[in-house]
Amino acid sequence: MKHSLYAGAATFALMAGAAYADKVTVFGPWLGPDQENVEKVLDGFAAATGHEYAYVGSDSFEQQIRIDAEAGSAPSVAVFPQPGLAADMAGSGFLTPLADGTADWIRDNYAAGQSWVDLGTYPGADGQDHLYGFFYKVDVKSLVWYVPENFEDAGYEVPTTMEELKALSDQIVADGETPWCIGLGSGGATGWPATDWVEDMMLRTQSPEDYDAWVANEMKFNDPKVVAAIEEFGAFARNDDYVAGGAGAVATTDFRDSPKGMFSSPPQCYFHRQASFIPAFFPEGTIVGEDVDFFYFPAYESKDLGSPVLGAGTLWAITNDSPGAHALIEYLQTPEAHETWMALTGFLTPHTGVDTSVFSDPTLKKMNDILLGATTFRFDGSDLMPGGVGAGTFWTGMVDYAGGAPAREVADEIQSSWDALD
Amino acid sequence: MSDIAGTKPALRWIVHASVLFLVVLWVVPTLGLLISSFRTSDQIATSGWWRSLFPSEQNLTLRSAAPETQVQENGIYVIEGNLFDDGTQATISKWGVSSRAVDAFEPGQTAELRKGGTIVVDAAGNYRMENPEEFTGSRGARVFVSAELPPEFTLANYHKVLLAEDSTDSMGRAFFNTLTVTIPATIIPILVAAFAAYALAWMDFPGRALLIAVVVGLLVVPLQLALIPLLKFHLNIGIGKGYLGVWMAHTGFGMPLAIYLLRNYMAGLPRDLIENARVDGATEFQIFTKLILPLSFPALASFAIFQFLWTWNDLLVAKVFLIDASGQTTVMTNRIVELLGTRGGNWEILATAAFVSIAVPLAVFFAMQKYLVRGLLAGSVK
Repeated sequence: MKHSLYAGAATFALMAGAAYADKVTVFGPWLGPDQENVEKVLDGFAAATGHEYAYVGSDSFEQQIRIDAEAGSAPSVAVFPQPGLAADMAGSGFLTPLADGTADWIRDNYAAGQSWVDLGTYPGADGQDHLYGFFYKVDVKSLVWYVPENFEDAGYEVPTTMEELKALSDQIVADGETPWCIGLGSGGATGWPATDWVEDMMLRTQSPEDYDAWVANEMKFNDPKVVAAIEEFGAFARNDDYVAGGAGAVATTDFRDSPKGMFSSPPQCYFHRQASFIPAFFPEGTIVGEDVDFFYFPAYESKDLGSPVLGAGTLWAITNDSPGAHALIEYLQTPEAHETWMALTGFLTPHTGVDTSVFSDPTLKKMNDILLGATTFRFDGSDLMPGGVGAGTFWTGMVDYAGGAPAREVADEIQSSWDALD
Repeated sequence: MSDIAGTKPALRWIVHASVLFLVVLWVVPTLGLLISSFRTSDQIATSGWWRSLFPSEQNLTLRSAAPETQVQENGIYVIEGNLFDDGTQATISKWGVSSRAVDAFEPGQTAELRKGGTIVVDAAGNYRMENPEEFTGSRGARVFVSAELPPEFTLANYHKVLLAEDSTDSMGRAFFNTLTVTIPATIIPILVAAFAAYALAWMDFPGRALLIAVVVGLLVVPLQLALIPLLKFHLNIGIGKGYLGVWMAHTGFGMPLAIYLLRNYMAGLPRDLIENARVDGATEFQIFTKLILPLSFPALASFAIFQFLWTWNDLLVAKVFLIDASGQTTVMTNRIVELLGTRGGNWEILATAAFVSIAVPLAVFFAMQKYLVRGLLAGSVK
């Protein structure tokens, strides 16, 4: 009797152990230094819950997660850089809805919580809406980078409105210099930096409702409002006086190389509009906050649209249901999970319950303040559009536009490609 | 060579010139990659590799020592030092203190600093800052110089790829994983294809011609077509993602070429030899092992080189059939892609990793290259 009791206890312990020490595989887009950072967060998860984890990164995440899901060898948790792709996969039944109550938690704890819930909610294979994606790690895109010491040498002030920004650009031209460095090159994804410009301009010239209608294609791509936003971008990128190397160089300059013009001697440009990740491509040894700084890409004072912020983020979804996967999503809701990465580099969070004093440098805190202080937060529209447009004709259309095609014609083409998808 | 009848000197020169041209065309990019692997990413971004071989005039932004190092001499505050703090030997031709006038001064002239005080810079980069009041701020003054710099190369990229703390383990593991993939994926198809090639070349059976036609047809089928169905099949029969799966995939994808190459070679062997052996009472298996295999060695070796190079450099098949979410089964090519970083900007690492990665295929190629040429030509020239 005693013997069998022991055996029973041992079996129980084994089963409990098996359920407890779940191996959670995480597949994401991060490599190199980013991979080390995410592994530190996952170390914390392992220590807190006792689950084991394995992280694998890939530069071709979008393709590989499809192959793995189609073939049935998906990881436990996948980290999607684009909600559009996650929505597609949820529709095909590859994602598992998150635990009940997650949506309430996001509403209560994230700044602009409902919008994060909406961004992670898609119709599943059964046609019902479920929350599939949990946003963790976001990027702010509405940033303009500059070298403060060059501003001091020239006596320029940081502009706070779009009118001032344009006036300062004109003044730099009048001083015989070039204000902007813009590069759209990015291998197979050439053109994406321009989509961010157009989205930012859309938010600065039209209401957030118009932006949402545009992203959902309820407002056509060739609507005069969208064409006007494209032309706002053109006012910068297609102006030979405004862009280092001339407007012809915009489409061919690699986006990773384009900010380097700010640091050359003498400087080739004074501004560079790019998301919060770009310091990784600044020359070695550049210190953000001293050698280089940023300001919020300002809104028009005359338009009264508040201070809209464009952002992007990664969304974590369960691709292979297991208790460990749910435990990981739960762990990501703890302040600790956010603070671990905050103390490293390149991490912003809409979580309002975190201790912002743990940010590794004051610039990150400044970025996070832009995020938390936004009157309107909108997600990168091209990531929300269907892949064929948002990661296809929108990109190539912007390259054509930068190369001299009329905005109207480009917008017509993008709209017809969108129509062809349905 | 010079006495071959009908060869005109002019024609020979054209032949030589075009050979030279082709060699240069092939070597130049490789050379560029090799030189780039010894440069930093900033150097790669700012100037071409062909300019790195000679001393060049460059505009640099340097910085004096921070105000905390200032000393007081006779009532004035002084900061002294050399702008090239890493001991670089350079000759400054022009310099400036404002980004708006980077070449305003000659070496030895005195410039006013924007925040107060003066600075003197000599041609070797030695500077002296003076100020009646204390220097303030956390950082030194920026000094823009135009200087003639000697060529500069670094081993840091190789250090990062091969010896850096976290990369040694994963690179070493990736190396052995790649060997684990490559060696069986080279041997298995040769074994199978040699039997098949013999049968198709020398054994009479109905439908042989049709079978050969099918094999030739399969040569042009792109393997991408089969990736997902094959992976699903592997998962259904329980192999999953792993070495067995990737060996089978490579074997399957390499088989048409292997059979085609070996059959053509074996078909070219003398008929008398094989018929004599049959008359002497040898079995088909004995003919195959005692006669055909030794005689086919050049063809086997040349296919082995092909298959080895292709599996060594493969990324696609490994990603689909081998690399899973556990992270334990990465291969060299995948490891190199990972080194490129999330947004793929580290060209210097790519160049270095490429040279590390081609070391083994180069060794294999040079060890067996005489068979490569013989194997390729033997089937075609009678």
